[in-house]
Amino acid sequence: MPEIVDVEEKLICFHCGELCSDRSIAQEEKIFCCEGCKLVYEVLNENNLCTYYDLNTAPGATKKANSSVKRYDYLDDPDISEKLVEFKNDQLFKISFFIPEIHCSSCIWLLENLYKVDSRIIESRVDFPAKKVFIKANSTIKISEIVSILDLIGYEPRLSLDELEKKDTKSFNKALYIKVGIAGFAFGNIMMLSFPEYLSVKDSVESFGLFFQLIMIVLSLPVLFYCSSDYFVSAWKGLKQKFINIDSPLSLGILALWGRSIFEIVTGSGPGYMDSFAGLIFFLLLGKVFQNKTYEYFNFERNYKSYFPISITKKLKSGEEQIIPLSKIAVKDRILIRNNEIIPADSILIDGQANVDYSFVTGESLPQLKSKGEKVFAGGKQIGGLIELEIIKEVSQSYLTRLWNDFIISKNRENRLTKFSNLVSKYFTLAILLLASSAVIIWYESGLYNVISVVTAVLIVACPCALALSAPFALGNTLRLFGRNNFYIKNINVVEDLSHVNSVVFDKTGTLTENQDIGIIFEGIELTDHESALVKSAVKNSLHPLSKIIYRYLSKSTELKVDSFEEQLGSGGRASIGGSSVLFGSRSIVDQQAVSEKGQVDSVWGSKVFISIDSNYKGCFRVKNKYRDGIEEVISETASKKEVYILSGDNNSEMENLSKLIDPNRIRFNQSPSDKMEFIDEMHKLNRKVLMIGDGLNDAAALSKAEVGISLSDDLMNFTPASDALIHGSSLKLLPGFLKQAVSTMNVVKWSFIISSIYNVAGISVALSGNLSPLFAAILMPVSSISVVIFTTLGTFYTAKNTT
Amino acid sequence: MSAIYILIGASLVVATGFLIAFLWAVKSGQMDDRYTPSVRMLFDDELKVLNKQNDSSLSNEQEKKELN
Amino acid sequence: MQVEKFSYDNKIVKYFAIATSVWGIVGMLVGLIIAIQLYLPSLSFNLPYLTFGRLRPLHTNAVIFAFVGNGIFMGVYYSMQRLLKARMFNNFLSYLHFWGWQLIIVLAALTLVLGITTSKEYAELEWPIDILIAVIWVVFGVNMIGTILKRRERHMYVAIWFYIATFVTVAVLHIVNSFEIPVNFLKSYSLYAGVQDALVQWWYGHNAVAFFLTTPYLGLMYYFMPKAANRPVYSYRLSIIHFWALIFLYIWAGPHHLLYSALPDWAQSLGTVFSIMLIAPSWGGMINGLLTLRGAWDKVREDPVLKFMVVAVTAYGMSTFRRSNAFIKKSECSGTLHGLDNCSCSYWCSWMERVPDIWNSVLLNTKTLEN
Repeated sequence: MPEIVDVEEKLICFHCGELCSDRSIAQEEKIFCCEGCKLVYEVLNENNLCTYYDLNTAPGATKKANSSVKRYDYLDDPDISEKLVEFKNDQLFKISFFIPEIHCSSCIWLLENLYKVDSRIIESRVDFPAKKVFIKANSTIKISEIVSILDLIGYEPRLSLDELEKKDTKSFNKALYIKVGIAGFAFGNIMMLSFPEYLSVKDSVESFGLFFQLIMIVLSLPVLFYCSSDYFVSAWKGLKQKFINIDSPLSLGILALWGRSIFEIVTGSGPGYMDSFAGLIFFLLLGKVFQNKTYEYFNFERNYKSYFPISITKKLKSGEEQIIPLSKIAVKDRILIRNNEIIPADSILIDGQANVDYSFVTGESLPQLKSKGEKVFAGGKQIGGLIELEIIKEVSQSYLTRLWNDFIISKNRENRLTKFSNLVSKYFTLAILLLASSAVIIWYESGLYNVISVVTAVLIVACPCALALSAPFALGNTLRLFGRNNFYIKNINVVEDLSHVNSVVFDKTGTLTENQDIGIIFEGIELTDHESALVKSAVKNSLHPLSKIIYRYLSKSTELKVDSFEEQLGSGGRASIGGSSVLFGSRSIVDQQAVSEKGQVDSVWGSKVFISIDSNYKGCFRVKNKYRDGIEEVISETASKKEVYILSGDNNSEMENLSKLIDPNRIRFNQSPSDKMEFIDEMHKLNRKVLMIGDGLNDAAALSKAEVGISLSDDLMNFTPASDALIHGSSLKLLPGFLKQAVSTMNVVKWSFIISSIYNVAGISVALSGNLSPLFAAILMPVSSISVVIFTTLGTFYTAKNTT
Repeated sequence: MSAIYILIGASLVVATGFLIAFLWAVKSGQMDDRYTPSVRMLFDDELKVLNKQNDSSLSNEQEKKELN
Repeated sequence: MQVEKFSYDNKIVKYFAIATSVWGIVGMLVGLIIAIQLYLPSLSFNLPYLTFGRLRPLHTNAVIFAFVGNGIFMGVYYSMQRLLKARMFNNFLSYLHFWGWQLIIVLAALTLVLGITTSKEYAELEWPIDILIAVIWVVFGVNMIGTILKRRERHMYVAIWFYIATFVTVAVLHIVNSFEIPVNFLKSYSLYAGVQDALVQWWYGHNAVAFFLTTPYLGLMYYFMPKAANRPVYSYRLSIIHFWALIFLYIWAGPHHLLYSALPDWAQSLGTVFSIMLIAPSWGGMINGLLTLRGAWDKVREDPVLKFMVVAVTAYGMSTFRRSNAFIKKSECSGTLHGLDNCSCSYWCSWMERVPDIWNSVLLNTKTLEN
């Protein structure tokens, strides 16, 4: 047995935990998957920072894909550094960076010990939930040096135009927390002072009543003037626009409660309702905290600016390279784009082999090959070697930017109460006013004092506290439940909109299919091991994107020495390997005979690569979009309840597969971004409520037009177009459950509205009879509120259990 | 019952003191980050390296959960 | 920019650790004696100094103020320096605090055995010692607040807040309850008369339990539990809510200790209601503590320190539950004293179980330090 264990021992990178191919990269008996990882280890080891590895096993991020040394000189440019620095004096400055890589306790530890790497960094603090690091540094250190250190140890900050412009995106609502604290404090203390009253102990009330009541009045003042101010402001704004929102009856109730309490205390006619007053505000504010729950670390408002890099390599006339801020490039500038970098502006290819991935911009799944002199559009990502471009349009005039500026409208959803609550509260307020006026009529005979006391009593018990709490708690809880399943919605209003959706539109590339992994299948005579090795070795030298996919597909085969290789760009290649000759590429190149038989010639590579070995036709590799797990179930389940459409920016090669899932009339190919947007508009004309799910910039316009736009991504920290919600790729299969849950949640809200109305009706009937005691009010208010909160919380948990 | 005045007075003074402390804490950003301090306190200058193999995977998992 | 260098004061922690164990043994030994005396009164050997009446306050004082008190200081001095990344504010104050506190204990033991007492439960000590307590307590407070002010860690961990609450409230409680008129060096009379005195005394008595026995140990739990389990507390957010909810509510409970006494009904009921409401913050703490260990129960099985903690935290939850329930008026009818003692005992037991773990972890840590 021991031998077997020995043989199967896995070689795991000490830094990042990825499998290592061999033991070749090692240091002090620790093995690494790549030189990048080893370098990080060496840096940390040198600075006595190896605790990093003690806290968690292999906590680092792999440096495999990202080993090139980047230069950050451009950050010291005064324009940029001014935007980055948050505080500055002669000795020191403060700066913060967003670092998506922060994921575990080792990250926190390392980033808070930066001063050990460079003593000019005075202090560094991590905000884990926000994935940010706050650095205080001596002014002798340059920003570029700090960023280089971060990059060196594997924590490259995210620097984009967008990040620069919005400083402190954290919308942490401190005022709200302070209000809750004050209201809670006043509530606790007033309640304590009110107990003698509840227990109707005569002697105590006589001896201490006034003292207690004076303290209560003092405590109630900040609650009225500070804590509840938002409700008055909102109600007033609503009234000015001739619109009754839920804050109007709330404000009426609050004022009636406080005013009557003061009246009673001053005239000595009663103890007042100060406890109910403070409690009401406290509960309402708690509801607000729930309602305002947001995901601080996700950015729902990203636009093209966050997609673009912050800097670009400019090639000067002298041939020197200089890194400059993106904002400083101009038409006719020559720029250099490396592997995986994004083309920032429309330009012309001057030098190099451009292989541009437009999947994010257009939805095409295969990269496009461009040759010298061809135009390349902004937004594409270069895959392969270095290319040189000449800018022909400014960034702000480029295709991608125009697309954005022309179509994208940002939906204003901030902080509005749900449509449903507002609808209900309108009728509710009218009903209360009606009841209050009927109270005036009924009690008119018995004098002004009685009329006032009954009217205020009606306003007090009719205060829709429970009503105001039900939506925030039910929707807020659903928001949290969604979040546990990697579905993050911008705010609670999205739940309501989601429940009304009756049409669902999917993007194809990157949404239904997996972007990273384009699948491939071989059709023809099965290749022997040797033949596979030949093919693999041949395609290795080709620049074409499909060749690379085939190479990956054949990763298990051995590699042979290639004697000679020639490539015909855009159509195929020929390699001779140990006496065999391998031909691959378009049909015309590989198999003249087959072509003549079918009588058609396609000189460029499509989505197929034909193979022949020693002039024998073997078959072809066909690109097959790889769909996400469980996508069939998602579509068929969604389609059973709602209309499902698929819009693809790609060609129609997938028609066959997709038409198995839904009606072919509902699938559209070759859709440009504006086509997609117009499609949503068409749907609106048919009065459909649309949910759009997409992943790329090409979907951004449609996402913003739809009732609910969900951006899908496999790495939510990366770029996602502006949307109402973010969903992780792996959670797309739960979509039908999410939709069902949204509907159930709204039902829970409706039921809790009914429950709270019952409380109100009960209270009002007591109030109308003129018998409302402070104790009754003090019990009714928290009982109704707490029972509604419990009902909505349990209700959403229960429905969530049944749906997801 | 004069003692009641003293007790309520003393309690109120203490409570008000803590209310002020609460306001300071919120305003000065003590509560901005409600997760990281709980991890930070685990780091000591004299770090114990006990059973690290066993719990690393667990704590990793836990942190992922905390995010949600 | 030069790197600052400082070291933690571990010696003071060890001093308090030794004091804790010594007084723990003494206190429990006296407890054993008085327990036997219940069955065998002759064990007092007819000496007035060893009668049950004199030994019982000695036992409670030794356990609460000597054993638990030193335990608190040990834990606070250990954790505060580390949480604030700073050495204690002033060495002299630290050792003044230590020796002053031990002097108080010795004086307390002597006076109680000699029968010198104010006869207020848990506040039996006479006025010169009361003043000494106030002074030493303020020394502790100055040392603590000084450390907080010169801290290197911007954020104040929730445990620190619990320590601050302990200092402030115990100071107020002790001073308000100890207003007394001395008649001679060893005798004084309370400033309050009759039922007023009783009301103040039990406002003190209850809150002493709350702020001397509970808040400091909750703070210590929030430090030592995650440390021992080597994982962050289940929800730090909950622990912050826990602290503020407890602070805004706890201060009001107290008069329930005088149910069916001459105190007005309403004041009793008030205390009762608040005692019930206290379950929420107490249990919030317990749940937070226990959930910290979720997924780490295998560790609990192996680690004696963690085992102690689990038992202690659970016992804490149970005893607060019993306490709160016991003070509901009706169940109290059967006999105030009986119910109280019973509950208090179980409550203290839980804390006694807590102390060794802190002691252990200090030993463990001091050992690693010595290496």
